[in-house]
Amino acid sequence: MSEAFSIMMWPFLACLLLPGILIYMGLHVVRREIIFVDLALAQVAAMGICLAIVLGHDAHDWQTIAWSAGFTLVGAVILTLTRPSGLRVPQEAIIGIIYVVAAAAGLLLLSRSPEGNEELRRTLVGEVLLVRPNEVLHTFAIFMVVGAVHIIFRRQFMLLSFNQEQGRSQGLRLWFWDFLFYVLFGVVVTSFVRIGGVLLVFSYLIIPAVSARLLVTSLPAQIAVGWIVATVSSVVGLYCSYQLDLPTGAAIVCALGLTLLLVAIGRYVVRSR
Amino acid sequence: MNTKFLFLKMILAVNLLSGLAVSSHAKLNVVATTPDFGAIAREIGGDDLVQVNVLAKPTEDPHFVDPKPSYIVKLSKADILIEGGAELEMGWMPPLIDGARNSKIALGKPGRVLCAEGLALLEVPAILDRSMGDIHALGNPHFMTDPMNARQTAKRICDTFSALDQEHSAAYRQRLEDFNKRLNEKMQTWKKQMEPFKGKSLVAYHNSWPYFAKCFGVKIELFLEPKPGIPPTPAHLVEVISTMKQENIGIIIVEPYQNRKTAETVAEKTNATIVEFSQYPGGVKGTEVGYIELIDYLVNTLVTALSKERLAEEHKP
Repeated sequence: MSEAFSIMMWPFLACLLLPGILIYMGLHVVRREIIFVDLALAQVAAMGICLAIVLGHDAHDWQTIAWSAGFTLVGAVILTLTRPSGLRVPQEAIIGIIYVVAAAAGLLLLSRSPEGNEELRRTLVGEVLLVRPNEVLHTFAIFMVVGAVHIIFRRQFMLLSFNQEQGRSQGLRLWFWDFLFYVLFGVVVTSFVRIGGVLLVFSYLIIPAVSARLLVTSLPAQIAVGWIVATVSSVVGLYCSYQLDLPTGAAIVCALGLTLLLVAIGRYVVRSR
Repeated sequence: MNTKFLFLKMILAVNLLSGLAVSSHAKLNVVATTPDFGAIAREIGGDDLVQVNVLAKPTEDPHFVDPKPSYIVKLSKADILIEGGAELEMGWMPPLIDGARNSKIALGKPGRVLCAEGLALLEVPAILDRSMGDIHALGNPHFMTDPMNARQTAKRICDTFSALDQEHSAAYRQRLEDFNKRLNEKMQTWKKQMEPFKGKSLVAYHNSWPYFAKCFGVKIELFLEPKPGIPPTPAHLVEVISTMKQENIGIIIVEPYQNRKTAETVAEKTNATIVEFSQYPGGVKGTEVGYIELIDYLVNTLVTALSKERLAEEHKP
């Protein structure tokens, strides 16, 4: 058992400290019905990484991070400009298009690079098992900053996602807060993708939020339930990954899915009584 | 916050205790990165004196291996780590070794065996340039397909075992001698089998066979990949097909983790035969036993395919 702790300690800490903000943002995202926006932004950031690699930078150089941040910013601008109000297409369609085109463009770029396949697979499943202590701490620091911005401007962000009509009547510049939301969101998603991969980011974002919405209604309660769901699933996933020797990220994703299933069954049983 | 620190302290305490307990067992605990090194370690150590764990599966690409928790466990308990070096495992081993925190297998320690060290590697690049594809600064790392390199590797492994387990060094030496004797005998047979096909050209998917080619006198200089590590592109395949037709090349070598469909498409257009090769014991059915059995399989399958090709040519009007 001690061995399990020494090996799984940093993955465990990563899964304990980092998903908190994802769960909170997940509630926003689910409420605003822009579920796949994280996949789209993560893919746009990955396209930036691909381009940097093709230009000859290493995956960990600062130029690579700059490229990926720049692309994320462009993604945020596009998402802000395609707010559903004026257009006749649902924003979900735009998000889907951004995702597939960014993914395909990344494939094209990486077909010119020998490390292409490896890098693509890494953005998908991540390497949460091999996470380094300083990666966890850096990412946690970034998340604290993003969290602080969200707390300071919580009134605006709440109105933006949960009560747009009221926000508009109060003279809130929605486009600005929308843009800020996407930028912060892009920062969170891309820094967690480097650790956990796209699958894990999506799962931490959406599954706890959906579970929480099934069970409780007030936002603080939803955050609490979401955090419990994420933590329990992480522990189960990490434990199974160790005991059964399974890829860690995928094990956590499946544990999250299983938890949601149990929550849904539990809710059905309670309701039908 | 207090409880969290207590928890961490407990983890640390338990770790220290378990560390003490592990250090007193009898068999040498050996980890090999790929199955070829594992097979040779078993050959020299035997099941009675060493416990060999292999990380990569024989059907896995040695450049890209999926890390699992058990790999770190195995590395943390290892007395000896045998790896190819020359950047073969560069993409996946370093973080695993960091995670294992085992000083016995740290770089430069006697427990760390880099098999490429001291071998004359082929294709050492004059200039290092990323635009050439996935090339290795230290030379081509697929050196184990030449039995003479396997011989030297066996000696390296025997020396390491003997140094770290002096009590049994006579046994290790004896097994090395047996291995060398069997290998030398086989080598003469293999060379004789390959003799009639000297200078024949073959096509491979990836440039993993220069050592095999050099040793057995065939040419493997045309690849389905345009550059090492870069997936085949249509234009390149057209070029390969026309070269194969021009030079009358009728055999394509494919390994288990490479895209068979690409090879099949090319084979269809050129009437070539696909030959299943593997660098690792167990990668193809019937090669599970060990290194010598693997090379035996490779030579026999290749000779069969080449004989058929020759027969077909002779019957052409």
